[in-house]
Amino acid sequence: MNSTAPNRSEQIEIDASARWPVLVFFGYALGWLLVGGVMQLAAAMQLHQPGFLSACEWTTHGRLAPAAQNALVYGWGMNAAFAFGLWLMARLSATTLRHGGWLFVAAKFWNTGVALGVLGILGGYSTSFELLEMPRYVSLLLLTAYALIGVWAVTTFSIRNTENVYASQWYLFGAAFWFPWLYALAQVMLFKAPVRGVLQPVVNAWYAHGLYNLWFVPVALAAAYYFLPKILGKPVANYYLAPLAFWWLAITSAFAGGSRLIGAPVPVWIPTLGIVANMLVVVGVVIVALNLFGTLSGRHAAARNSLTLRFIIISITSFVLAAAMNLALSMRGFAVTAQFTMLDGLRDWLTFYACFSTAMFGAAYFLLPRLTGKEWRSPALVKAHFGATALGVLLMVAGLTYAGWSQGHMLNDAAVPFAAITKAMAPWFALRSAVLALLLVGHVAFLINFIWIACPINSQGTAAAVFRVPPDLSTEAHAPAGHSLKGVGP
Amino acid sequence: MKNGLTLFLGVFATLALSWAGLLLTAHRQIGGLGQFKDPADETLYPQPLSGLADQGRLVYQDLGCVTCHTQQVRHEGFGSDLARKWGERGSYARDYIRDQTVLIGQNRLGPDLRNVGARLGEAKPAEYAEWFYKLLYAPQSVAKGTNMPAHPFLFDVHPVAGRQPSAHALTLPSKFAPGPGLEVVPTARAVALAAYLQSLKDSYDYPTERSRNAPAPHKEAGH
Repeated sequence: MNSTAPNRSEQIEIDASARWPVLVFFGYALGWLLVGGVMQLAAAMQLHQPGFLSACEWTTHGRLAPAAQNALVYGWGMNAAFAFGLWLMARLSATTLRHGGWLFVAAKFWNTGVALGVLGILGGYSTSFELLEMPRYVSLLLLTAYALIGVWAVTTFSIRNTENVYASQWYLFGAAFWFPWLYALAQVMLFKAPVRGVLQPVVNAWYAHGLYNLWFVPVALAAAYYFLPKILGKPVANYYLAPLAFWWLAITSAFAGGSRLIGAPVPVWIPTLGIVANMLVVVGVVIVALNLFGTLSGRHAAARNSLTLRFIIISITSFVLAAAMNLALSMRGFAVTAQFTMLDGLRDWLTFYACFSTAMFGAAYFLLPRLTGKEWRSPALVKAHFGATALGVLLMVAGLTYAGWSQGHMLNDAAVPFAAITKAMAPWFALRSAVLALLLVGHVAFLINFIWIACPINSQGTAAAVFRVPPDLSTEAHAPAGHSLKGVGP
Repeated sequence: MKNGLTLFLGVFATLALSWAGLLLTAHRQIGGLGQFKDPADETLYPQPLSGLADQGRLVYQDLGCVTCHTQQVRHEGFGSDLARKWGERGSYARDYIRDQTVLIGQNRLGPDLRNVGARLGEAKPAEYAEWFYKLLYAPQSVAKGTNMPAHPFLFDVHPVAGRQPSAHALTLPSKFAPGPGLEVVPTARAVALAAYLQSLKDSYDYPTERSRNAPAPHKEAGH
């Protein structure tokens, strides 16, 4: 094992080996982000315009909404996580991504699987289990493709040229194993050898909670643990606590799924166990917050200059908010009102969009210029993307919190007829559509910039991913690189 | 943490633990839950779905009704499901063993449907089926102010001219009818779906579950 930091030329070599796999996965991811976003917007509009696209069976709300969610989760979310995870794993392990050609095959298979799955839902083959709606026939395709991708991440890790294993690597390594196990077990227990009765919702809740908190959240945290010290050029605060946070979050989040079943017709220990787990999660979240916000403290000005860090700040703030929301929804007194309302959906949106997706945006603004050797072409589009995301997250959280809470109150008042609830919610449904449209504008801006930067026959761009140009444009030029975060570490 | 193997074993153990602790334990506890034989009328409850209703379940699944509707009645003291007349009692785990796929849902953009088949009132089953057809074809015609989407694709709309009028054609108010000389006839999928919805009723109260789910007696405060 070589303990010296890779020099700049080694890092360029690593980036070059990751270039095409990352660009291909990101390309697919952004395609799905747009397709899923359009479908999600259309489905959201149907709630206040019930006649919209309702005449066609393929676009009835009950199919369009889950199809959009699946396109976003498995299309955008997974592809973006693959792109970012493979790159970061290679960098932190100080080794090149070898035989990347196989990853193209995997990408092709994965995205064929997602496309078939989404079309399957629209065509009427939905299983109606949350996040597992895709017809059974695609699960094998997805697992095979995933195996190929996951093996790359793990192999890259195991041939690492570094002595120390950094926090981001634990999270990526954990996620790389948790997802396939969760997915395979859920497939077996729901479709291959289905469990009976209300055990099905239990399996479903375990899977859905696991997918968000043992796949998307770890990938987002890997990004935060990497970019904060790297761009700020200082070690992670209280880094010695980070391993505790990792194991604590892993153990408690894995048990927290039952909290989604408060009041459901399942043995009462299942939600109770989930409630306890969600309370324990707080300890892990506090440590992560100490690590990340502690690193940030005193360096806010520097953080504001970096576009990547701006996104990362939204991401970690949302991570804390999502944990608070999970905890609140575990309290029976809160759940009795908030359950089954828009607040329930907001919890998962916070995890998936506000925490995970924003982290991926931040990562993309950092890594794509380094992989392609170009700068972002249009600063206006960069600003538009960030502005739309920041405003969108703020509006969505504030709006849906209020709306969901009042929806819950009306649902719990038997004197309020259902039509009155629908009428009272109509403006909030409209707000939700407006926010989704705003976010979509940001995504389009991002996509245009991506095409410019990814297209090989393209002239140099001009926009740096910073808001005000700091004295030294490239932090990498002098900051310790790659795994040598240990150098700035504890 | 420097050792990859330790990391792997730890990662494996966390998920294995939650799988065994949550899913396997729950499976051992209620995986074998069976029907209950009522001592008085010697009938097994819950009664299985009819074949047609089971086909309707597949339609319910493929149209994604679960996106907006739950199928779980919360117990007395937790929400106002009973006050809303969504059921006479909270749902029990045993109610669901007749369902091949259990979709309890997590969104109430529409009302709960677990006992929608019991909201018949004075109507005869055929009239109630007709009510469901109207709800599916033109929701506003029977549920004013709803944002439920219409499902016209579950119906055949064809001209009456030159053929015998269908006995199953819907009688719609002119505002919602497709036009003069046209009739709206439910397809086989609509018939199955309506049969499924009508089958949704947990009317039998299991003595064991009832006693277990009864609210605890109030304790005297203090010593």
